[in-house]
Amino acid sequence: MYQVQLQDFEGPLDLLLFFIKRDELDVFNIPIAEVTDEFLAYVRAMQEIDLDGVGDFIYMAAVLISIKAEMLLPSDDDEAGDEEAVDPRRELARRLLEYKRFKEAANDLERHQERRLQKHTRGAASSQEKHYETERELDLDASVYDLATALRGVLTTLPEPDPVHAVERESYSVEQQQTYVLERVLEAQTVSFEDLVRERSRPFVIATFLAVLEMARQRLVTISIAASNQDFYLLRPDAEAE
Amino acid sequence: MEADSDHSAPDELDTRLERIAEALIFAAESPVTPERIAGACEAVTGLAPDTGVVADAVEQLNARYEESGSALRVETWSGGYRMATSERFAPYLEAFFEKEKRTTLSRSLMETVAIIAYRQPVTRPEIEFVRGVSADYAVGKLLDMDLVDVVGRSDALGRPMLYGTTDLFLDQFGLSDLDDLPNLRELEELLDDPDFSDEKAELFMEADLEERMDEEEEAPAGEPSTNGKA
Repeated sequence: MYQVQLQDFEGPLDLLLFFIKRDELDVFNIPIAEVTDEFLAYVRAMQEIDLDGVGDFIYMAAVLISIKAEMLLPSDDDEAGDEEAVDPRRELARRLLEYKRFKEAANDLERHQERRLQKHTRGAASSQEKHYETERELDLDASVYDLATALRGVLTTLPEPDPVHAVERESYSVEQQQTYVLERVLEAQTVSFEDLVRERSRPFVIATFLAVLEMARQRLVTISIAASNQDFYLLRPDAEAE
Repeated sequence: MEADSDHSAPDELDTRLERIAEALIFAAESPVTPERIAGACEAVTGLAPDTGVVADAVEQLNARYEESGSALRVETWSGGYRMATSERFAPYLEAFFEKEKRTTLSRSLMETVAIIAYRQPVTRPEIEFVRGVSADYAVGKLLDMDLVDVVGRSDALGRPMLYGTTDLFLDQFGLSDLDDLPNLRELEELLDDPDFSDEKAELFMEADLEERMDEEEEAPAGEPSTNGKA
């Protein structure tokens, strides 16, 4: 059972930096599997309260999963030059460091603004008033997403000293999903991925996806991408596999 | 203006310029450049003082404020002078203006304005890449607050707009100009940070990748599940 503390993270990179700092991880050697699991647990908790920002987190979850998948794939031993190989986590490490730089810059700027706020000038009150007006106007134009964000704001400022959400442990393993995928493929010869996961939960979809990648690697199924790019098909490689 | 007989300054013209600057900076509601002070002098007397002389006069004015324990100071923000109260009196002003509570920007706006300030001119996708989140709201809000503005269009595909910070940004963050921004830490410095463990940049660049890949491959194979963690 995961216990996810809902803190205010500025985004997926901020969340990853938090994991790195908390667990004293090496930014260049992130244990992708563990971090991905915890990241997904957070995303699931987040979906319950935030409509707006969750898309960015899902995108990052996909990035993590693709890195994880890439690391599962066998590296070509023929290409002896290990200089050629690039750690799939490298780009992520770069982004995390770059983001950290700007987080620090934001802290510096905040200190500047705090100091500036201690010094009052003439006309500041009226210009401030103008900003409040535009703010109110904006709020009237708000979409349903802003409404949901506002609701989330209300929910998170409720006098709950320590909002802890209990997130159920992921109940699908990749092995389990491999069996499921194999059964479906044997039964129908060709199955679209969408059919495999129709109306199922996100962890189910993700576990199934990982299962499919693993099976493709072991050549238990063949993948064919649909022309629309929205879906892909799984085929039995040939009859003798039966 | 009345005769400045209260101070017997050695150079009467300089003292006079100091008072003129004081009057203009006091009356203005936005930063006053030395050029504008010189321009006002020229309009009245036909003689424009050198901007360096104006700057000296303002410095003297500030020294006089400091000496006399005045509540006022002349600050250099956004390339001009502004008269502001000393921070010593901040609690009184906050109590006095209690209805107009002034606060720093929210975290997301602060990070966004930081990226724009250091990277300008910058496109929205570039901002989004650094933070890993959509910048629609933050950029829109900063535009509304006049802290950033559209400064052009990029030559990149789709010609996205380029954003930069405004004079108001410098004013509200107490910066004289963009060179006054605090230094962005270099990546090398970050790597020495104890937040990140001992593996350093060299390792990053020329890592023993093969060894690392092997470790990673072994780990999931031995476990009952690759995605479960108790």
